[in-house]
Amino acid sequence: MSNATIGELLVRNGVSRRTFLKYCTAMTSLMALPPSMGAAMAEALRAAKRPSVIYLSFQECTGCLESFTRSFSPSVESLLFNVISLDYQDTLMAAAGHQAEEARAQAMKDNDGEYLLVIDGAIPTSDGGVYGAAGGRSYLDLLQEAGKGAAAIICVGTCSSFGGIPMAEPNPTGARPVSDIITGKPIVNISGCPPVPEVITGTLFQYVSMGKLPELDALGRPKVFFGNTIHDRCYRRPFYDEGKFAKTFDDEGARNGWCLYELGCKGPTTYNACATVKWNNATSFPIESGHGCIGCSEPNFWDKGSFYAPLSQGAFGKAGNVSPRDAAKLVGAAVAVGGAVGLGAAAVSRSRQQKLAAAAPDKMKGG
Amino acid sequence: MTIRLADIGVRLDTGGLGGGAAALLNEVAGLLERLARTGKPGLIDLRNMPLDEFDRERLHAALGEGEIEATLRTDGISRFRETGTPGVWWIEHRDVRDGLIAELLEIAPNPDILSSPAEELERGALALRARLDARIVSPKEAP
Repeated sequence: MSNATIGELLVRNGVSRRTFLKYCTAMTSLMALPPSMGAAMAEALRAAKRPSVIYLSFQECTGCLESFTRSFSPSVESLLFNVISLDYQDTLMAAAGHQAEEARAQAMKDNDGEYLLVIDGAIPTSDGGVYGAAGGRSYLDLLQEAGKGAAAIICVGTCSSFGGIPMAEPNPTGARPVSDIITGKPIVNISGCPPVPEVITGTLFQYVSMGKLPELDALGRPKVFFGNTIHDRCYRRPFYDEGKFAKTFDDEGARNGWCLYELGCKGPTTYNACATVKWNNATSFPIESGHGCIGCSEPNFWDKGSFYAPLSQGAFGKAGNVSPRDAAKLVGAAVAVGGAVGLGAAAVSRSRQQKLAAAAPDKMKGG
Repeated sequence: MTIRLADIGVRLDTGGLGGGAAALLNEVAGLLERLARTGKPGLIDLRNMPLDEFDRERLHAALGEGEIEATLRTDGISRFRETGTPGVWWIEHRDVRDGLIAELLEIAPNPDILSSPAEELERGALALRARLDARIVSPKEAP
């Protein structure tokens, strides 16, 4: 950890108070905090020191890192240069091979008990963890070693948070999420396939500025970003309430921007910030582009059946092509996380689907 | 050729929707009354409000157009416009790619971020005194 405070680094780098205050104002807006906290956050950050961050990638596609590097506000460069000290990330760092591994070992030693450990990717556990290795050591071994000295672990993406696609049936590598392997450490799950970039940087920013981890939901996700369903905050929600639905992707309803529920949108049971923070510099999100939510920030999303089958055909109605084990888990998770809102949405979903099934049984078979 | 999202031929049926403007205007009125009574400023984050385009039109119409507009150029453009309701400022912060990163209503005599901060006043005074002492006074030589 650098001894200079963030405030000292800002002055050294020629960043004015106004620039930094604007940055913090944007962050409080992103995190839906009271806007008056922008100035308080700026003051707290100026007095703080940059924490060491060690970022390890395991069974993943690098989509999460691609997403992370596309954070516009806060920009990834402002985060890296001003707010955190990213001491190891094998794709981004200049060092490679033994030099990179030595940098990781040094950062862990220098910041023992204080560094943030960021993980993307699931961890293969079958056959002693032989299905994933780096630098001659299994991912399982690397995680267990790095986890010991971490102040907290941030899981970036659905794979490290919940197992994701590597853990999808039949899970040949025995992939598991971080929380199945590391116990006794604070773990934050920033799920999504990939996660919204600003949710990754915003969570890191919040940790540094407030000196503590954010409040989490029952699945370990920051409530500030995962407190509402996509459906709750969707701009098409009024059409759902009015009973206006697109029936196909090119009908009059689709052209009018009506609700995509009947085309399989998983918005009512998916908790994420896509509808408010959006993607690509807040340009849009999938529903705005005419495609339903696929529920990628929820556990086992890949095993819940067709993305184009309406909700009650999956986890919340007939078990369909969801395994009994996963169906039980999903219902349990929805009850725990969603509370009244989630249950309400699920109940409405069921009711609506029963009507749909009765009206047009052939359409319910999904795509 | 780049196609903007707004150019794609999807129309949004918004007839009869919205309704958030009235609630928001009541909040603005309350904050403005408090400002007049106690001097305490207020902020409302518009980006996190579920406002549709009709709500925005209603807000603009109700608050009116004011006389002052200021621009801050740092990490993108920020615009500060006083509305026709004195003490109510409509603020947009944009990043270097012109993306909207924060949109606020600030209820204050003037937006806080526009004031010169105390520590920078001192730094500016020291820098100016140093230039005067070094007899660097022509505009060409000044930074």
